[in-house]
Amino acid sequence: MFALLQKSVEVGQWLAQDPVSSAETGLSPHRVIHRQAKTCVRYFPPAPGVPPRHPLFVSMPLINTWTVFDLRPGRSVVEKLTAAGIPLYLMDWGRPGPEDAAVRFGDIVDDILPRAMRRSARHARAEGTLSAGTAMDALGYCVGGTVLAVTLARHGALARRMALLAAPIDFHASQRLATWASAATFPVDAIVDGFGNYPKSFMKDSFKLLKPETNTAKYKGLFDRFEDLSFRALWAAMERWNEDSVDFPGETYREYIHRCYFDNAPVEGGWVINGTPVDLGAATMPAAAFGAMKDHICPPEAAFGLARAWGGPVETFELQAGHVGVCLGGSFPRALLAWLDQPLPAEA
Amino acid sequence: MASADPTGDFQQFTDEMYSMWEKSMTTWWDQVLDSPEFLAASGKGLSAMAGARRKYEAGVDEQLTRMHLPTRSDLTRLARIATLLEERVLKMEDTVLEVKDLLEARDTRISALEKEVLQARIEATEARVELRETLAGLQGQLAALAAPAPRTRRTRSAKNTDSAS
Repeated sequence: MFALLQKSVEVGQWLAQDPVSSAETGLSPHRVIHRQAKTCVRYFPPAPGVPPRHPLFVSMPLINTWTVFDLRPGRSVVEKLTAAGIPLYLMDWGRPGPEDAAVRFGDIVDDILPRAMRRSARHARAEGTLSAGTAMDALGYCVGGTVLAVTLARHGALARRMALLAAPIDFHASQRLATWASAATFPVDAIVDGFGNYPKSFMKDSFKLLKPETNTAKYKGLFDRFEDLSFRALWAAMERWNEDSVDFPGETYREYIHRCYFDNAPVEGGWVINGTPVDLGAATMPAAAFGAMKDHICPPEAAFGLARAWGGPVETFELQAGHVGVCLGGSFPRALLAWLDQPLPAEA
Repeated sequence: MASADPTGDFQQFTDEMYSMWEKSMTTWWDQVLDSPEFLAASGKGLSAMAGARRKYEAGVDEQLTRMHLPTRSDLTRLARIATLLEERVLKMEDTVLEVKDLLEARDTRISALEKEVLQARIEATEARVELRETLAGLQGQLAALAAPAPRTRRTRSAKNTDSAS
């Protein structure tokens, strides 16, 4: 019992040193190749000495920072993909301010994201990793995947195939999140009218409340594995990322909630952006939906909705992890690389 | 039978206690968080917060305006204008890059065409040289064929001489 008390004191002392604030994330070498307002494209070159593969564009979620893909050395999707020779272009949505509240969903899917992809392709051609007349491969995570799917359904020439990781498409299969974000009780219009952007504090608190037991379980996990120094570092990095939410641009959020959570428009249809209907069924490129089987934010049923909605061939993959855990292990990068190695239908 | 390690027993005891507590709390949270009453109440709470925020913002803006100071809305508007201007610049840059791509594609086509023309000229020149050589050969052969003719004339003139004599 004394040993347990002593360990409790050690854990307390460690937490009192505030390891979360000093935890470093996003350490993989990269440079910014394009900027628009708060957004930017970060280029991660392939590891030296490895033959370069086809470039990959990644659309990250709009609700938090990109560093979840590069939390710690050895626990980084970016590191694993670049080590395999992939030149990686990562869309960082930045930290929206009050002036970004007017940015609409249509601005993102018809202007900001297509431009970022075109500029990335241009850069890849200049680097010699992409031949003329060829498009990149694309990956979207979480909301970034939903946005990517809508974009590529409208601008099919931007990518030659699309992979989505824990990205909701069938929003009415989102379990508790779908229950909360119902038209009857969720006052999205009042919030956007009052706050401008959807505040990051609301976002953070609602995710904590989505599965409240995780808030104590994470401390239990720390206590159980406190002797493992690498786990401690990962825990601190994870906490830092978890607490580092960003505001969601107000008008984009309004349309996202109305069309996706209220109407389930990606599956049901009836969504018109900038005068053109959103029709995922019109897409022809091959796609893959990676679902995290322990995901409570985007349950696998919500992610696998892509198979029903997408016009092109869709493969589904089940990963034994949670919504964030998929970014920490090696199973997702391995599965993605294997999928990317498959020849395209035209090449087969 | 008592365990040899009482600390291990206590650890197991706390783990089990935690597990039971977590299960009971999860059940309770599930009941609360999915209940229509909770959703209705949180929705009303969020609406009220948003309304209060809106009024507060409007009030602060009004006070600042009275003091002839720029408001948050003014600064937001300026930042928005800067963002829109940047967007226009980027659109112009897009056009410039498209034109550059077209020009590069045209240059590539022109240089390919120039190569083809040059190749054709080289081939034509080579053909002319070959033709000239063939012609020269033919001329030589013709000259060779034409060479015995003077001997015939000489015989004929001899005959003439004979007849004259």
